[in-house]
Amino acid sequence: MRIGACKKTYGRRVVLNCPEMFYEPGLIYAVAGPNGSGKSTYAKIAAGVIRPDGNVKVTDGKEVVRYMPQKSFPFRMSVEKNILLFGGDRKRAEMLMEALGLAELKKQSAAVLSGGETAKMALARVLMRPCDLLILDEPAAAMEMEAAVRTESLIDEYRRECGCAVLLVTHDLSQARRMADEALFFFRGELREHGKADQVLRHPEKEETRRFLDFYGGRITEG
Amino acid sequence: MLTSLQKAIELILTGNRELGNILLVTARMCLASSLISLLIGAPVGIWLGAAEFPGRRIFVVIFRTLMGMPPVVCGLLMYMLFSGVGPFRKYKLLFTVTIMVIAQVVLITPLVIANMETYVSSLAQTVKETAKGLDFGFWKTLLLLANECVYPLFSTYLLAFARSVAEVGAVSMVGGAIAWKTNVMTTAIMLYTNRGDFTLGVALGIILIAISLLVNIAVTVMQRRLSR
Repeated sequence: MRIGACKKTYGRRVVLNCPEMFYEPGLIYAVAGPNGSGKSTYAKIAAGVIRPDGNVKVTDGKEVVRYMPQKSFPFRMSVEKNILLFGGDRKRAEMLMEALGLAELKKQSAAVLSGGETAKMALARVLMRPCDLLILDEPAAAMEMEAAVRTESLIDEYRRECGCAVLLVTHDLSQARRMADEALFFFRGELREHGKADQVLRHPEKEETRRFLDFYGGRITEG
Repeated sequence: MLTSLQKAIELILTGNRELGNILLVTARMCLASSLISLLIGAPVGIWLGAAEFPGRRIFVVIFRTLMGMPPVVCGLLMYMLFSGVGPFRKYKLLFTVTIMVIAQVVLITPLVIANMETYVSSLAQTVKETAKGLDFGFWKTLLLLANECVYPLFSTYLLAFARSVAEVGAVSMVGGAIAWKTNVMTTAIMLYTNRGDFTLGVALGIILIAISLLVNIAVTVMQRRLSR
């Protein structure tokens, strides 16, 4: 899966400048970096939600890309209907709701869900159909630890089932270490480091990555 | 004042014919103008709130400006267009309920558009982002967005109806407040008060507030039921 080179500027500020990237099917890529480093902008451009400068196309348009934004919208309908939007496999919806602890809330209006419950519903919704590239922007940020771990196994299962590549934008470095095969580190809109997750998240080459890991997650240099 | 109130209640309870006619004309005009404004304004407002095109802001400013158009200016404009020297004189609509409806539609539609645009633009980006993330195309996104607009649609209708039922400037200019023909509640209140007949004026005032209250209750109940 190819995501072409892209640049995004707001006024004079360059918020993203990323070279062409290729994502292998079946692998999970953690996208890490401090606030304002361009992670979410990259995710949005890859998902086709916003256009990069020059309105260039970054994908070939043949692949199916599914994307869960940082703030997913709960449509004005029940949780179940939100997940089954415009039809869908009812059994799969039941399984996802059960796995994410939404089964008891399925008839409830999505408008009254808490932040964490909305995130779970949005994740179930995005995992309903197969795709070539799954982009998740902080999927477990609003969830409690137990739900976050269940979320990880669901994402992993989905990736195995449909063989898609997964771009996981996350602040949670321990989650990135647990899940990712490869990691991308963004800093001030630039892709500074890319490689095996183990290498980038444990033995980074760049000074910015080292400082970020030390500050946010504590760099693990052993085992 | 108390005597006027007492007489007004008597008039309502005894079913005064003139009062009944004024009520009917008012109901015809208000329902027609508010519904037509909603039918024209809501889709335009939703589109304007969700679409991205160069010059969109100019349209928004125009509609927001038109929202504050004085009713007498609208009445004057309609009068000039439909009077004996106007381009639409052949339709002979001046001093009919139809021209009153047209004038009110011109007056109320920008209000509907601006109200819907404000609501839709506040959530369009998130809805579009979520829908795009689920690989939905244009029509499915539009359906989802329209579904989100059910609740504000009712409050916008109430706004349109309130503006219509309370409006006096434009309808008196183009309708002429002709008894048994184009006299509506607001023009009648003005007419009777000018004549010194406060009783009928107070009766109409009470009915006007009661109708507003009833329409509000009915629309709020519908809004709650449909929004569940």
